[in-house]
Amino acid sequence: MIKKITLLLLLCSIYMPAQEIGISNQLEYSYNTGKKIEILENWFNADFRKDYFSAGIRLDIFQPNDPDPSISRGKEKFAGIDFKYLRLDIGNIDESLEITVGNYYALFGRGMILRSYEDRTIRVDNNLLGLKLKGTYNNFVLTALSGSSENSSAERKDILHAFDLKYRGFNFLNLGASYAINIPEDQNSKRTSLASVRLEPSFWNFDIYTEYGVKLNETIRNEVLGGDQIAGRGFYGNLNFYYDNLALTGEYKYYDNFGFGNSDRTTNYNQPPAARKEYTYLLLNRHPFPLNQANEKGFMFDMNYNLSDETYLNASYGQTKSQAPGSYFQRVLKTNSPERLLQEEAFFLANHAWNENFISVAALGYSSEAQSNTKSITPVIENKFYFGGINTIRVILEHQQTSVSATNEKYYDDVLTLEYLRSPLFSVAAIIEMKTTESVEDHVIRKFWSMIQFGYRIGEHTDIAVLLGSRQAGVICIGGVCRYEPEFSGVELKLFTRI
Amino acid sequence: MRKKAAIIFWLAFAAAGICQSDKTAPDFKLQDIDKNTVQLSSQTGRGPLLISFWATWCKPCVEEMQELVKIHNEFHDKGFDILAVSIDNEKTVARVKSFAKAKKYPFTVLLDTNGETAQKYYVGQSVPAAFLLDKDGRIIYQSSGYKKGDELKLRKKIEDLLR
Repeated sequence: MIKKITLLLLLCSIYMPAQEIGISNQLEYSYNTGKKIEILENWFNADFRKDYFSAGIRLDIFQPNDPDPSISRGKEKFAGIDFKYLRLDIGNIDESLEITVGNYYALFGRGMILRSYEDRTIRVDNNLLGLKLKGTYNNFVLTALSGSSENSSAERKDILHAFDLKYRGFNFLNLGASYAINIPEDQNSKRTSLASVRLEPSFWNFDIYTEYGVKLNETIRNEVLGGDQIAGRGFYGNLNFYYDNLALTGEYKYYDNFGFGNSDRTTNYNQPPAARKEYTYLLLNRHPFPLNQANEKGFMFDMNYNLSDETYLNASYGQTKSQAPGSYFQRVLKTNSPERLLQEEAFFLANHAWNENFISVAALGYSSEAQSNTKSITPVIENKFYFGGINTIRVILEHQQTSVSATNEKYYDDVLTLEYLRSPLFSVAAIIEMKTTESVEDHVIRKFWSMIQFGYRIGEHTDIAVLLGSRQAGVICIGGVCRYEPEFSGVELKLFTRI
Repeated sequence: MRKKAAIIFWLAFAAAGICQSDKTAPDFKLQDIDKNTVQLSSQTGRGPLLISFWATWCKPCVEEMQELVKIHNEFHDKGFDILAVSIDNEKTVARVKSFAKAKKYPFTVLLDTNGETAQKYYVGQSVPAAFLLDKDGRIIYQSSGYKKGDELKLRKKIEDLLR
């Protein structure tokens, strides 16, 4: 089967005009020398485009698949076409029609009702298989779809129907409404649906986004909530203000029993904004806090200010709390727990260019989490030196001090990153991490991890990265969705080709 | 299984050799940060066009954007333009407009919140990635990642196209 597909693709590559074909291959291989585990993952994409028509496939190979069952979906080893589509896209900006048959992704608004997407970094792929229509006419944009996502056994049983209507006829205001309903395969199971309306006004230097949604489920309504029409509620608001060198962003979230997925709960259909800061430094991501659409409310403020051409400041503060007694979440679970602070974070960063060839960054992060009972403070210093026009040396020092309030335990993490980059082809980085634990007073335990990573570009099309050494276990989070990466010691190869 | 993977791997490289000719850039329609819809095919034809995929959380992207501002200011009058496509997802998209305004980016900033345009260009989450198009909309140069000095080659390619 694989050989036939390969041969077909190769023939297509030869006989079809190259301008109309796109190909990419992403390979990730690792060998854990400590655990003697070998993992190979490969994604091969081929797409063909001709005028209004496009079609494509994605061939996935996993050996073995991810240990997380929500990612592997029961497949230990896998090789096959997991994504294929045919698409017709006619028209222009004002009047158009797009028809997709096969696998597709979709986003309504900012994901409160529906977000179907792929992110390989965290191994999320909740694509839908079915039909999607998108039409634009007279400032109205309508998206309607019907499709099915994979369940825990990699079977597509439930069916999702959804639509989103947007009106963009006013300069100062965009309007939108979304609706989605999941129809389980088991006809005795009740259907769950979500509906929302959104307003997006813009005036002077302000931009606002607000979306309010409700969840309906007959089982919850009749058996738990005593006939209440609504089974959950969600609200997301975002205010942006910019003036000269200053930019402010404020977000507010309120998600009460607002999770929406397939009937075995292994695929989320919706993913509203998490209203949390996303960090670029290693240690600041060490205490992840995944999004919980069922039981969260809170806010986040973020400020950017260009003090001068040389100096740039960023500050943010955010809080997430649990829902109060009487909320849909607590009524469904029949609990009466008081509202509590789940997470609090603050961050400050200053970036200063001393001259064209020397830039310094100083940052300080604070986070507190109720679930793990931890509080951490993280100062970071980064210096970048440029020389010869094409060379960069980067030195990053991160220190994190964590205290666990439940056990009075304290530990410290230090990460030193040394990186040399030479444009356009080559980079090498060495990362050393030391963790100091003092679980018993005056009994200090230190643990080290170190790795070296080489990067090289072959032509314009291929990037290769080789990692040797060890790294600490950690969680990678993107958009409130997290993936655990166990401690690793060995060799890792990443190769990406794009044509 | 490894044999199959090796075939796929080989195919990618074999195809790389076959498809060396310049490829037409996939068309897309995206909203900019001021809520105007922009279609790629209506932006080509005037001169070289750079499509730069970036994100507010990506440090090399922000470094590259500073260089792109300089390149834009230098060549814009000669017909060169930039479309900066932000792949910030629903979590961070709220910050794109204020970020771009505070940085005073002089070019069009587009929002690809669900990453579907990035997928058409096989960018995924690997930003920055840049594609330089000639006036006929063909990709004549592409790069991924950013290291100080990468802009020198890009500048040279733009100058060649403007000759």
